[in-house]
Amino acid sequence: MQSANVLLKKIVRSSVLPFAAQHGMKKDLFPLSRTLSLSLCLKQDNSCSPSEKIDLDAWKKVMKSGLQEVSETASERKELSTLAAAREILEMWRLAGRSVPENISEEQLKTFMECPSKSAKKKYLKYLHLKELYKKNDKRKMVERRERRLETQEQASNTDETKRNSFICLWASCMDRAYGWRVAQSMIFGQPLVFDMSYEKDMSVREVANTVRQLVLSEGCNRRSVDPFHIHFCNFKDDSLYHKEFMKHYREAWGKLLITVTDQCYTDVFPKDKLIYLTADSPKVMKTFDHNKIYIVGSMVDRSIKTGVSLARAKRLGLETAALPLEKYLLWNTGAKNLTLDQMMHILLTLKDTGDWKAALEFVPKRKYYGFVSKPVHELKKTLNLINTLKLGKRQEEVRKQFAKNYSKKLTQK
Amino acid sequence: IQPPEKPLQAEEWNRLRESFRSPEIFEEVMFNNMVRCNSPIDVAKSLLTHVAKSNGDIAYNLLVKYLALCVQQGQTSEIRDVYDIMKIRFKTLESGAYNLVIRGLSNSDQWRMALTLLEEVKKIMVPSRTNYESCIKAASRHQEMNLAFELYHEMLAKDLVPTFDVLQAFFDFSRGMKGAELQKELFGILLYLRENQIYPHKTFMRSIKLWFESIPGGNWRGHLTSIKDSGQCPVCNHQLEDSDLTEEEYNNLSERIIRDVIHGTDTFRKTSPQEFEAFQMFVENRLPFDIVIDGLNVSHIKPRKMQCENLFDAVNCLAKDNARLLVLGRKHMLINSSNWKREIMKEMQNKADFFFAENISEDDAFLLYATLRSGKHCKFVTRDFLRDHKACLSDSLTRHLFRKWQRGHQISKKMFLSVFIQQPAFRYDCVVQTTGDTWHIPYKDIFEEKYSYQVPRKWLCIQQK
Repeated sequence: MQSANVLLKKIVRSSVLPFAAQHGMKKDLFPLSRTLSLSLCLKQDNSCSPSEKIDLDAWKKVMKSGLQEVSETASERKELSTLAAAREILEMWRLAGRSVPENISEEQLKTFMECPSKSAKKKYLKYLHLKELYKKNDKRKMVERRERRLETQEQASNTDETKRNSFICLWASCMDRAYGWRVAQSMIFGQPLVFDMSYEKDMSVREVANTVRQLVLSEGCNRRSVDPFHIHFCNFKDDSLYHKEFMKHYREAWGKLLITVTDQCYTDVFPKDKLIYLTADSPKVMKTFDHNKIYIVGSMVDRSIKTGVSLARAKRLGLETAALPLEKYLLWNTGAKNLTLDQMMHILLTLKDTGDWKAALEFVPKRKYYGFVSKPVHELKKTLNLINTLKLGKRQEEVRKQFAKNYSKKLTQK
Repeated sequence: IQPPEKPLQAEEWNRLRESFRSPEIFEEVMFNNMVRCNSPIDVAKSLLTHVAKSNGDIAYNLLVKYLALCVQQGQTSEIRDVYDIMKIRFKTLESGAYNLVIRGLSNSDQWRMALTLLEEVKKIMVPSRTNYESCIKAASRHQEMNLAFELYHEMLAKDLVPTFDVLQAFFDFSRGMKGAELQKELFGILLYLRENQIYPHKTFMRSIKLWFESIPGGNWRGHLTSIKDSGQCPVCNHQLEDSDLTEEEYNNLSERIIRDVIHGTDTFRKTSPQEFEAFQMFVENRLPFDIVIDGLNVSHIKPRKMQCENLFDAVNCLAKDNARLLVLGRKHMLINSSNWKREIMKEMQNKADFFFAENISEDDAFLLYATLRSGKHCKFVTRDFLRDHKACLSDSLTRHLFRKWQRGHQISKKMFLSVFIQQPAFRYDCVVQTTGDTWHIPYKDIFEEKYSYQVPRKWLCIQQK
């Protein structure tokens, strides 16, 4: 069988020699029979071997030959389990060029099958696909970096290298210890910052994972700051999804973190009149950072924008609320006004150290705003003037006034 | 790149491929362009042959693209060939290939093959609605109405929404056919349109009309018309159903509004329990109102005027016939400012009841509650489409009820007119409706842009002589 197929392939390949094409006759010579037997196929190929035409259906033969075994094994297979069937469909999608991950774990496959709709499935697969791509890229980059490092190492002398390495190690552990001291100090004397961990019900699994990731980042940048906050995780349940995700990130370090984790509500831990709930929906805008207050940040990622959820929490408990003065300092472009938790952390830390809103709001993602308010007005005026002198001539003064008026109106409205 | 017009030799393909800037995807790009330009099938075949000979194999995505070209040109035998090849080569196919094969075969004389393929698809996934569409159209084209309806019901059972094309096909191909069963099924489709508040477009409407008129011995006559504001059909003088909800629907809707819109996941998101209770007390003590006004919304009607002046005009205009008014606002309206003059506010409060919510509460929810609580005669005034509140409702049935109720009870104003023109609430219900010997079917012009809150103004009136 095997040898026959090889022979067939060879014949097919050699039979059609490139010649000046004469079309239209191939159908008469090659009947479109789908039940070609092997021998018939050979015979036909021989009969018209030095043909001048392109054999347009030759590909069918190639595809059918050599596949007999495959089809046999396929028919031998028993009924597939649903998981295996799903895996096969995924494989076909991948072949068809859809964004589907190459490797998929059993657990992911189950999540995939539990997706409620076709579009949910598509989305999940795309997410996995992108994740896989990123991972691959990272791996490739790491290998490249290692190679480059090896090269440089070869150039440098060996003794030098070890010295520097040990120095780096020493430096790193020293820094760690210093950071630890600072955070420990902040746990006694520092200003508390509360993360409200009561939003698990409002989030999907992926959103919780994102939240925890952001919290880990926030904790990291707090630890490295000059004057850290004393972080409180309030309303934290031990069997929660939050906890599970934290364990994934911190593992055994979770127990050694210099933060306060409690299942109590912040209202039980702190006096109510000192608490301020930070939420983008708040009607009140924060003017200055108060060192005697305790700020609360809701640990929630809401991809499906859920307005007023955290405001409702604060209202229920009768707490004061505040929003960052984004409109006042930034000329907003696009995007929601809710920031990620690590951005909030950066902003609050900067405010605490300097009280400078401009420096603090540098941590708002650049894509979300055009610029700081003072700058763009100035620049916009310049361009406007230019346009006006080109276009309108005399009326420029008037237009400029109009613009200034509108702009100030816009500011007061918001 | 432009696909060639004639089949090429292997060498020529090679040359083309070399000249292409990224040779790895040359075949894919070439096939895409062939599909776009509807190239002759022989050209595609010659490329496939070239690929097969140089690689000994053809990738799945190329086969699918070739299949798309065959389907586009209706090459039935080729479609079957490709399908057979795919079948031996791969254990299962994915939905894209199945879609193409089913579509291709259903348009040919081998349409029964498409049905068997549909069965095959069912084994591995839920077929798409276009799969069903192809099969149903094929079956009805060949006058197998029973089979077509069987597939149609199967599709509905799977929560797939049939396309207009499918529904229209039923009417087109049953024209002139006799049979009580068939008639019942087609009436069923019309009732499906009614239940889901779907409006057929013009050509679909014409199919419906022609089918009615073709029923042997039915004596049906159809006329195109538009319904008067009173809700009377000018052709047959029949009074259309009014837009009032039934008692049960009404109670259901008010319950849902309180549960889903006002309370939702958390009462504090839109108001607070204390405030809502206070509002309930307030409303219960003063019931019933005739018109409930969204004060803030109305106050923005003419941007040049002072806000409280706008509201004042509206209240004066609506207070004429001794109607009991309720104006909903927020507390900040009570503070004397450039937009809200205390004297005018005082004067208004003599003419209407006012309820001021907290500044961070949502007054729309109160508007809905007060109107529903006052009873069926009560109307409300706002320019808001209340889409966000409709979206809070949990199921589509209640959402339809909400839309219907809204159409019947919302008064909105046209802007920028010196005279306070009211756009009257609809008095009749705009859905497919029947009395047995008449049918009234609203339809939309196919090119007419229709928003979901708009209802068509054109009707098909069908009556039995």
